[in-house]
Amino acid sequence: MLKAFRSRWQRWVNQRIPRADQRVFGQRSIFILPTGAGVVFTGLLLIMLITGINYQNSLIYLLTFLLGAVVVAAMHQTHRNLSGLELTLIQAGDGFAGDTIPFRLRAVSPRHDALAISLFCDDSQLEHQHVPAGQQHDMTLAIPSYQRGYLQPDRIRVETRFPFGLFKAWSWLRPVRSGIVYPNPLASPEVTSTVQDGEEQSKARSTDGNDHADIRPWREGDLSQRVQWKRYARTGEMVITDWEGEQGSPHWLDYEAFRGVGRELRLGYLAHQVMERARNNSRFGLNLPGQVIEPDTGAAHANRCLKALAIFGLEQPREGAPLPHGTRSDEVGHRSPKPSVVGEGRV
Amino acid sequence: MIRRFLSDSLNSSSLQTVELVSGRALIWLIAGFVLLLIPQWDRLPIWLVASCAVLAGWRWLAQSGRVRLPGRWMRTGIMLILVAVYIATVQGRFTVDTAASFFVLAVGLKWLETRSTRDFYVLFFILVYLATVNFLFHQEIHWSVINIAGVALLLIGLQVVNAPDIPGAMKKGWRRLGLMLVKTLPIVVLLFVFFPRMSPLWSVPLVSGEARTGISDTMTPGDISSLAQSSERAFRVTFGGELPAYRDRYWRGLILDRLDGDTWQQGFGKPFRRLGRVDVDGGVGPLGPDQYDVLLEPTDQTWAFALADSRAVSNNVRQTNEDLFRFDRPADSSIRYRMELVRKPPTEGASAEPDNLQRYLQLPQSGNPRARAFGQQLAGEHDNPQAVVQRLLTRFREQAYFYTLRPPAMPVDGIDSLLFDEKRGFCAHYAGAMTFVLRAAGIPARVVVGYQGGSPGADNEYLIVRQYDAHAWVEAWFPGQGWVRVDPTAAIAPERIEFGLREAVAEEGSFLENDWASPQRYGDLAVLQWASLQLDKINYHWQRWVVGYQGQSQMNLMSRLPGGIGMRELGYITAGIVGAALLLAGLVTAWQYRRVESRHPIGRLVNRWYRLCDRAGVPVRHGETPAQLAFRLAQAKPAAAGTATAFARLINKHYYGRDSETGHHGELAKMKRLLATMKRQADRPSTSSSKG
Repeated sequence: MLKAFRSRWQRWVNQRIPRADQRVFGQRSIFILPTGAGVVFTGLLLIMLITGINYQNSLIYLLTFLLGAVVVAAMHQTHRNLSGLELTLIQAGDGFAGDTIPFRLRAVSPRHDALAISLFCDDSQLEHQHVPAGQQHDMTLAIPSYQRGYLQPDRIRVETRFPFGLFKAWSWLRPVRSGIVYPNPLASPEVTSTVQDGEEQSKARSTDGNDHADIRPWREGDLSQRVQWKRYARTGEMVITDWEGEQGSPHWLDYEAFRGVGRELRLGYLAHQVMERARNNSRFGLNLPGQVIEPDTGAAHANRCLKALAIFGLEQPREGAPLPHGTRSDEVGHRSPKPSVVGEGRV
Repeated sequence: MIRRFLSDSLNSSSLQTVELVSGRALIWLIAGFVLLLIPQWDRLPIWLVASCAVLAGWRWLAQSGRVRLPGRWMRTGIMLILVAVYIATVQGRFTVDTAASFFVLAVGLKWLETRSTRDFYVLFFILVYLATVNFLFHQEIHWSVINIAGVALLLIGLQVVNAPDIPGAMKKGWRRLGLMLVKTLPIVVLLFVFFPRMSPLWSVPLVSGEARTGISDTMTPGDISSLAQSSERAFRVTFGGELPAYRDRYWRGLILDRLDGDTWQQGFGKPFRRLGRVDVDGGVGPLGPDQYDVLLEPTDQTWAFALADSRAVSNNVRQTNEDLFRFDRPADSSIRYRMELVRKPPTEGASAEPDNLQRYLQLPQSGNPRARAFGQQLAGEHDNPQAVVQRLLTRFREQAYFYTLRPPAMPVDGIDSLLFDEKRGFCAHYAGAMTFVLRAAGIPARVVVGYQGGSPGADNEYLIVRQYDAHAWVEAWFPGQGWVRVDPTAAIAPERIEFGLREAVAEEGSFLENDWASPQRYGDLAVLQWASLQLDKINYHWQRWVVGYQGQSQMNLMSRLPGGIGMRELGYITAGIVGAALLLAGLVTAWQYRRVESRHPIGRLVNRWYRLCDRAGVPVRHGETPAQLAFRLAQAKPAAAGTATAFARLINKHYYGRDSETGHHGELAKMKRLLATMKRQADRPSTSSSKG
């Protein structure tokens, strides 16, 4: 029953707060409840009232009413503190799995100060952010990532307990954009060529449905095993069949180089290699099934490769697609074997 | 279960673990604590105040890193020591006082434990309740102000703890709190007036161990003269008609009719004290010409003071058969009661039954032989009691008797040495001596203790009777006349009766000689007198109208409103006020939100653009970026392509641009222009696009 209630609640919230990178918090989307301290304080007021009644003490009545009014005013203040705040996800960052991914958020409160705003997303939090009236306040929420892929925080909780901590008002930003989480780089075991026979390989390849074979002239550094000796015997040309990113080639990083290894592990190896190459500033290309990145150098290139590794085989969380309420990407039948979003099903 | 779920799911911040509370918040809490201790100063043992200061100071030093907070063992040690000292001082007496000091002790010990925000809140709650407890003991306006200021400090501390690094916290915090109070004040006032003043839910005597200044139920010569050194207020009286003359202001309190050695006592055993509390108010409404309102300071006794020939009007006092007035329960807080003067005394000597009268002839077996002989001699010389009394008064008037606050010690046969040797004494001495002689002469007589006099408060609105107005006099029973007041002091020092103690001991210079802080001592400083009286006036009205606003006053006030408002109606009204206040708060929030929305001009423009797109047959999809929308709009309305793209770019620039690029007014105007143009373009080329 609890679970049903919970999912109904989530559906309701998701319906109420559709995904958007920008949100102005208003009545529809702000929730407010007393905190533990607020509940205790209300109890204290009750005790004070009983004290006043029993001792027929008007001043205790007065103090009780005064504090009671302050509680109501505080509720109002807490709500107001959040109301009208505009929060925009201006940049979803990237990083390696296991690291925290920075999400840049911009808060604007047009009319009044929004004080002591806290952002929470799963285990990460950003506390006591002050947004002065009419000014922009940029902040970075570091969201931990656990696996490669798109990191689309389900909900970023925006909360405030100001001024007295007796009430908490909160809402959520459900961003559309997602951060990119690169595979965790893993040093690959020394790759010696698994290719013993070109024919065999080409056969294997074609069954894979990959026909990005390239035949190029031999150049220095190519292993002699990879020369098409048969062709050489026929034509006298020393050519090399360059299956994309054929392993062993110093310029190509190949997904297929790691036979018998799981996909995630391969991507981890590749990420490591990309990092290595980038560090050495050497030229490399990346060959993934269905995607080839031509050899190049530089940080931008490395990022591009890492990104390709990150999202390999995953579908981008559909931007603003009218997702059925409360359904998660994996429930819709995502191809990804594991959800790309951390904090599954948590509010 | 659901609650757990709520707390789980709604509180994703539950991961905030123990975090050290900020020092800036702590200092406010400490300041509030100090302020809230001030009203307790006279009832707390000094060691407790000192330990609280040390503990709070320790906590503060620890905050700034100069010392370390004690570990668990040391904390337990400190706690055990202090609790042991507490138990030793309390010695098993359990009163509200000891409970209050234990409470303070608990707060003091809590300082050493205050590390996390949670502890901070615990301390906050305790301190708020300390303010409540303070109100039990002090209700004057200045104490109330201190108390409420203390609570305000606590609330500021709470703001700081919730936003530790907020810029300009202090000024803004006070402003915020002040605004909150101002906005909610009407509701508070309405609630205060209309909240039904129920009778206590259960009996809670406010037993105080503190010895109150005031007259006591025994009189040993010297007692009242120590009272004469106190300028504390005993009670205040408002008269409906005109003030009685000074010499007629005899406030009868209690009757002492049994002499036991040197000490006069009440003949009956102490009256049974019922648990519970007495109604503290004596009704509202205009005073009749013969009526007067007495606002008595707490005495912890059941005695009410009244002029002779009075009748109780309010129902919280009742008359005894000695024509005294009593509360049902001890006056542990200020009590107001209303009396009426009866111009024609009821049938004289109604209570003068012989068996009753015998009590007033009681004398100890031995002692004071000369006074006994004197009384018997007087009885022999005169045949009616009036003449004996006259003879005695003449003796007091004509012989060199002195009225003094510094009487000599008269340890053996005190009455003899007073009457025949020293001839120096205070009202209690003379009253006791005269009663002795009258009884020796066979005339029923008794000592009456109470107050005599009273000085006008500011603007002559009311009388203030102070402890130094305490007085003792004699009542003698004359056949056919009943009890008649006889005051030997009037014969010895008429200025005491006509003008008060100050005049009576002016030569001696002993008026309030030990009470150097009392404003009454400096009667010649007009400014001081004026200020003191004004303060007293404020306090008097505060006590009458705010502190004393209780059951009967409320009912009287309500009876003046149309419609019979009873307890039940008051309950409805209160609920209505609370509901209306909440509704109002909600409406204000809604209204403010609308205003906030209108403060997002760009947002409104974007909304208008969305509507335009919608009309143009390009409904906005969820999560679509402005550029995507502009692209689709451009496809539908090629004429608007340029403006749409530019508009989308401006939106992006506004929301995602760098700080320096946004916030120009020009930007808004430009967007408005673009939107207007786009609108024209989208409308006009609807034909051209259908052509193309």
